[in-house]
Amino acid sequence: MRINDAITGAVLLAFAIGMFAYARTLPAIPGQEYGAAVFPMLIAMGLAGCGILMIASGCRHWQGAVAWNDWARTHHAWVRLAVVLALILAYILAAPILGFVPMSLVILLVFLLMMGVRWWIAAAVAVAATILIQQTFVGLLRVPLPLGLLGP
Amino acid sequence: MSAIQTALGLVFQPTVLVTIFLSALFGLVVGAIPGLTATMAIALLVPVTFFMDPVPAVGAMVTCSAMAIFAGDIPGTLLRIPGTPASAAYTDEAYMMTRNGEGEIALGANLLFSVIGGLFGTVVLILSAPVLAEIALRFSSFEYFWLALLGLTCAVFIGTGSPVKGLVSLFIGLFVSTIGLNNPAGVPRFTFGNVELTGGVNFIAAMIGLFAVSEVFRFVISPRIQAGPQAVMGNLFRGWGRMMVQYWPQQLRGNVLGTIIGTLPGAGADIAAWVSYAVSKKMSRTPEKFGKGHVEGIIESTSSNNSALAGAWVPALVFGIPGDSITAVVIGVLYLKNMNPGPTIFLNNPQYIYAVFIIFILANLVMLPLGWAAIKGARTILRIPREILMPCILMFCIVGAFAINNSAFGVAVMLVFGVLGFMMEENDIPVAPCILGIVLGPTLEENFVTSMIKSDGSYLAFFERPIAGGLGVATLLVWLSPLLIMALRSRRVAFPGKG
Repeated sequence: MRINDAITGAVLLAFAIGMFAYARTLPAIPGQEYGAAVFPMLIAMGLAGCGILMIASGCRHWQGAVAWNDWARTHHAWVRLAVVLALILAYILAAPILGFVPMSLVILLVFLLMMGVRWWIAAAVAVAATILIQQTFVGLLRVPLPLGLLGP
Repeated sequence: MSAIQTALGLVFQPTVLVTIFLSALFGLVVGAIPGLTATMAIALLVPVTFFMDPVPAVGAMVTCSAMAIFAGDIPGTLLRIPGTPASAAYTDEAYMMTRNGEGEIALGANLLFSVIGGLFGTVVLILSAPVLAEIALRFSSFEYFWLALLGLTCAVFIGTGSPVKGLVSLFIGLFVSTIGLNNPAGVPRFTFGNVELTGGVNFIAAMIGLFAVSEVFRFVISPRIQAGPQAVMGNLFRGWGRMMVQYWPQQLRGNVLGTIIGTLPGAGADIAAWVSYAVSKKMSRTPEKFGKGHVEGIIESTSSNNSALAGAWVPALVFGIPGDSITAVVIGVLYLKNMNPGPTIFLNNPQYIYAVFIIFILANLVMLPLGWAAIKGARTILRIPREILMPCILMFCIVGAFAINNSAFGVAVMLVFGVLGFMMEENDIPVAPCILGIVLGPTLEENFVTSMIKSDGSYLAFFERPIAGGLGVATLLVWLSPLLIMALRSRRVAFPGKG
């Protein structure tokens, strides 16, 4: 999925303007000219410059706003991408409540089955990987992974 | 002397040695699997090293990256798919050798000259780092500002195809580095009242997103069909003596050039391999053999990419300026371990520096037997089904990003950067300058603001000290180089006879 440089450039330019405007509001240190605002403002100016250059080059090679390459034409690819994004989001939202082990099993199972792995292999891999990760991080590295349902 | 003894004591401990061994295996497997890069191996390893003592943590990262760079040659030679970008320069050449039935010679050469290249780079590191540290002790904020800027500049102008897109990536990284309270004035910036953001964006979570999660996304949209490679049957050690004697100039040139390119801040093993392959072809007496399965260019560029790896540690240890995206991450980790890189570490904690040197030597020596085993087991490694591997990698990424601060916020950061990295790569915007920007941003800002305050706002002060002036001019020259090249080209077009 190639977005035309002009579109990316315009987004960057808009972002840089917003960034510059925000950085101007940062409080100055009394008696000093160079405070927290200088560096972000310089970055914003650089980013705006890049945005303008990209708009110029994008307009010269304009072939529509987005050029779709092979994968982006198939809806399978989009569905798979959406599922993976949803799985990560699900972990962020649900892991504190449900805990690491159930979430890990679900994520691995769904992902493996989606990639066409046979169900019994998928189940075995999901269990084995979950145990391995749990043992490494909780047992060896003492990371308190969320316990959730398995907790007290 | 006692510092060296302390260092030996730090390294030769069962836990450290086991860590080095395991990370070597990990690096070999990840490097050998096409699509999983050396940087990704480091990204997956960092959450684990995060909880270790400094010496095993550094040991794990040094060993893992060295193994992964070498192992990238294996699928390149057997399948014509480079395992890591650093092998891409000579993949076609090595694959031609396999087709000519000389696969074991190509892989043997890769192994032998990777080890020698790594050791050469290590020797240069050991000899030059303490000397440079002496000089660096006299550096002020002006020199550090220019060094940081030079590193970022090289990353943009040398490491990428299009300087504008490289700059976009860099500015995104620099912007990310400004988020939070970590700035000279201690003002919350771009936090919008979010408590988690006041701590800044964690670079480990960002890196896992940029280098590992984006790769998972790329896999799910187009799962490639895996080809079964041939097993390597012949004797790997065949022709080692002959190659050493016949190609010693090429090898030496590869080592020297690789180390120099590695030492340049912002340019790493990938670029070293490309440059060395091109040099080898240009200087060869038989350039017509190149591209048809000739070992000469392979020797030079495989020497080069492994020596670049050690070379990249020179600016990293001495100045705290990373040579490539791997050392950028290492520097971040060193800061977390209170092993702040810079000249003072050579004075205050020389045992750590010696420990790093010893680990480098160990890592390159252990590459010989383990690399041999990896080549022999290549068929099995390359057959690991990707559709089983990728879900496990994703789960590992999630847990790794979570573990850094024990909060789901890390996972959210990882997700955002995963999507960002995916979109950037789809549009040919390189990712490496972004991670360098995130890591170097605070250094750049701090030294810039300090210098501006010291000089009372005069830009001339940035050029007044001799070393600062030299670095400044060098940086400006790199900035102007695209314009100079364009001017030269247009002259050539205008006066074709004089080209």
